[in-house]
Amino acid sequence: MKRRTFVKSGAAGALVGLAGCTGGGTGGQGTTANGGTTTGDATTTAETETAAAKTTRENLSGTLTVATYSSFVDAPSSSPGKWLKQTFEKRHPDVTVKFRTPENELNYYIQRAAQGVDLDADLYVGVNPDHLIRIDEKLGGKKLFEPTAQSLSNYGHVKDSLKFDPKHRAVPYDTGYISLVYNENQIKQAPTTFADLLKDRYQGKLIVQNAKTAVTGRAFLLWTVHTVGEDRYLDWWRKLANNGAKIMGSWDDAYTAYENGEAPMVVSYSTDQVYANRYNKDMSKHQVGFLNDQGYANPEGMAKFAGTDQSALAEAFMDFMLEKEAQKQIAQRNVQFPATDWAPLGEEFKKYAKEPPNPVTFTYDQLKGNVDDWVDSWAREIASK
Amino acid sequence: MSDRREDATENPESGSAPGAPASDGAPGTREREPVARARAGDWLERRALTVLGVVTAAVLLVVFYYPVLTVFADAVRVGGRFTTEVVAEVLTDPFYFGVLAPLLSGDFAELGDVAADTPLGLFGFTAFQALLSTVASVALGVPGAYVLSRYEFPGRRTIRSLTIVPFVLPSIMVAIGFYAFFGANGPVNDLLAALGFGRANLLLTLEAIIVAHAFYNAPLVARVTTAAWESVDARMVETARSLGANPRRAFRNVLAPQLLPAILTGALLTFVFTFMSFPIVLALGGFELATVEVWVYSLVQDLDYAEAATLAAFETVLSLVLTYAYLRYEARQAGGARAANPPARKRLVPDDWTPGAALERAGVLAYAVVVAVVFVGPLASMVVESLTGPQGFTLQYYRFLVERQVEGASFQTKPGVAVRNSLLFGVATLVVALPMGVTVAVLTTRGGRGRKLADTAAMAPLAVSGVVVGLGMLRGLVFGVELWGTRVQVSGPVAIVAAHAVAAYPFVVRNVAPLLAGVDRSMVESARALGATRARALLDVELPLVASGVAAGAAFAFAISVGEFDSTVILATGSSSYTMPVAVERYIGSQTLGPATAMGTVLLVVTSVAFVAVDRLGGRWET
Repeated sequence: MKRRTFVKSGAAGALVGLAGCTGGGTGGQGTTANGGTTTGDATTTAETETAAAKTTRENLSGTLTVATYSSFVDAPSSSPGKWLKQTFEKRHPDVTVKFRTPENELNYYIQRAAQGVDLDADLYVGVNPDHLIRIDEKLGGKKLFEPTAQSLSNYGHVKDSLKFDPKHRAVPYDTGYISLVYNENQIKQAPTTFADLLKDRYQGKLIVQNAKTAVTGRAFLLWTVHTVGEDRYLDWWRKLANNGAKIMGSWDDAYTAYENGEAPMVVSYSTDQVYANRYNKDMSKHQVGFLNDQGYANPEGMAKFAGTDQSALAEAFMDFMLEKEAQKQIAQRNVQFPATDWAPLGEEFKKYAKEPPNPVTFTYDQLKGNVDDWVDSWAREIASK
Repeated sequence: MSDRREDATENPESGSAPGAPASDGAPGTREREPVARARAGDWLERRALTVLGVVTAAVLLVVFYYPVLTVFADAVRVGGRFTTEVVAEVLTDPFYFGVLAPLLSGDFAELGDVAADTPLGLFGFTAFQALLSTVASVALGVPGAYVLSRYEFPGRRTIRSLTIVPFVLPSIMVAIGFYAFFGANGPVNDLLAALGFGRANLLLTLEAIIVAHAFYNAPLVARVTTAAWESVDARMVETARSLGANPRRAFRNVLAPQLLPAILTGALLTFVFTFMSFPIVLALGGFELATVEVWVYSLVQDLDYAEAATLAAFETVLSLVLTYAYLRYEARQAGGARAANPPARKRLVPDDWTPGAALERAGVLAYAVVVAVVFVGPLASMVVESLTGPQGFTLQYYRFLVERQVEGASFQTKPGVAVRNSLLFGVATLVVALPMGVTVAVLTTRGGRGRKLADTAAMAPLAVSGVVVGLGMLRGLVFGVELWGTRVQVSGPVAIVAAHAVAAYPFVVRNVAPLLAGVDRSMVESARALGATRARALLDVELPLVASGVAAGAAFAFAISVGEFDSTVILATGSSSYTMPVAVERYIGSQTLGPATAMGTVLLVVTSVAFVAVDRLGGRWET
């Protein structure tokens, strides 16, 4: 990958970044010379602007603090964090990438912003549509993220169907599809529709996650709202619960129960077989099933924190994460699908990662003002005693 | 609070009279400097309890009361103004309070509907499961205490040390063990099937939650009760017998009153813990079995602080009322003068097989079987899980731990660092919590008006929801407070130890206080009359008499620190201060439990060895 990372718009951002760069001073002659011209001449032509931007990228320096969820950098199997850090630092020798993985993940930063405490991070990796709604509802006027999408040169490669932030703060870098995973030794005839799941045949056969506490559970609930309908989903869930479905607190708990044979079907990701293959597991116990030929898309995005003093560096890292090779590495190591159209995926992934024929998802605007009600009504319906 | 501090200053004061003239008379006969030093030493000794009391109160204030109260304020302060709206809304919501809600709102017409739909409400159900869990824990714990304190057999002390191990296990490990052992394809179901009963659905039921709660809390009941049983006065029983009481009557009238406070301590702690349980409910119960704490947790996840704080405040009030009621009871029980003089232990194989002795041994055997099923089974299953891959026996998960230790990046969790931190924090917590707990126990066992309220306030760290404590620490300590223009933040190892000590010292208090209350006052008074300071009398006279309680308290302090999760993760944010349970949690990978179970086994081994060591050291002092 060569450095074809030019800033197309947002020259102001580049200038600020550049000023910071010269101030910090790497002492390289190129920096000083170029920096001098750019800052000295206010009315630069488009050409020098691009050159300046290029220089900025080439001479990036400083520490970039990337906040993310812990399995992105610290999973026992494989995680993309280490590769991203090493590759980016190799390309920019004066840059240090630091990871921060607070236990409360994005909530930690929302709380910091709400309390008016310094964020101490430049970029968050792992934002989903729910998060954006929570941010906008809880923080009101306070800004947590800044729009950056338009200034990334690789943004054009991001699949339109996955772009979930109308305000262009979050840039998708991968996506998962929620689906069923089942043991075909016990499920001879897999359910193909949501209505199927209510049949006697599947009595006590399914484990799902709590939509209040688990990402996969929430996605599955949203999928039912999307497909069964806003006015019928509660009814459907009551019938599902009466049909013996087990609703557990987290994906970990649910998957542990599934692996121990508590039930032959579980709500999980459609990439399940990639792991199963990596760990030499019996593939018949890891079949992927899509309901109504759908899968609920759960895109993950990255966003730049408002008020960061490493703006240029943060954008360079985001652009880097959208590059071909990075997209391939992220997808394979995080075991999710790439968010762009150009990742050269390996054979393992092509063979075992299943994509639903019709991915569905709610947009930010559809979720806004609704998702809390949907989830709360669901939770009260299930937990009443 | 003020009440306790007042006492702290008044107690040593009143007793310093005999000692004071001696030190006051010294200056003329000695040289200046040593005198000053001796005076400082004297002063410190005389004021030791006062100083410790003030330090304890300060630590509590900074690490517990301030952070937690800022969270509770959310219940009544919404959007910058005070309101009781949320509180009223919660109180009159049948979903939370069942049939109580329409009664509280005066909406009697709804009563019938609510009784049919949600009679218990979330609070009612939570109390119900806590009650069942408490009964199960006491039923399982007290026989254990009996066996451990009344029988002599090889390995007794080691087993007594190990009783505390379940206490430190992260809930996810327990869940993994339970799934492997009681699960659809586990050995219990295999046995049931082989015996022709067919496979039963043992998990994701209320029963599973109760058994798991007993797994955690029966050892607690056993431990506290054992300490009391080991310090009963056998002479009183002998006296009763010599006066013509039969064994049953001697037990009921003499022994039981000496044991009951300890058993009820265990029961109270169990009820409070299981009322606020949430990881076990999340892992082993379906969502339809959700408790209040599960709800608080999910509200906090959604950042709905007002409602979460309100629910948590109700939980806390309930726990504190129970604690207060119990402390009143405990105070009434105390005061009987006695010295530790336990009866001789029986041998497991009796010399003389009378029918009674045989029956008792059969009971012990049956109990051992139950213990094997509830405790050994899940733990052994967890260890087996760590050694089993898709192709059978494997060491690959342990190899992962070694590789991670050797090659892991700075931002990754290393097992060696986790082990080191756990042990360091554990010892530091013990060192801090033991004086704190003994101080509070001394200051609160001496009767007096309002003392029980102060005692209740000192017990509050047990009675507040873990989710709220975590949130309070995050916002109050990690984010810091703006003081005179600078932000004061508390995090890192010192904060972690302080938080652990605050969580642990109530256990020291509850293990020591009931025994301390039973110490013969006249012995302390004699020591004081002979010139000992209050602190000296405590160290030389009282503590040796209640050593079994202090040792049990020390073991708990260590255990709490090793097992603590919530505040550790929060305060360790962005540093390398993670502990073994945190590492277990982080090693849970997508689709593979191997590394987590391997780390869990390391945790099991390290803590087992540590508990035996703590107990042996405590025991050396004990005898």
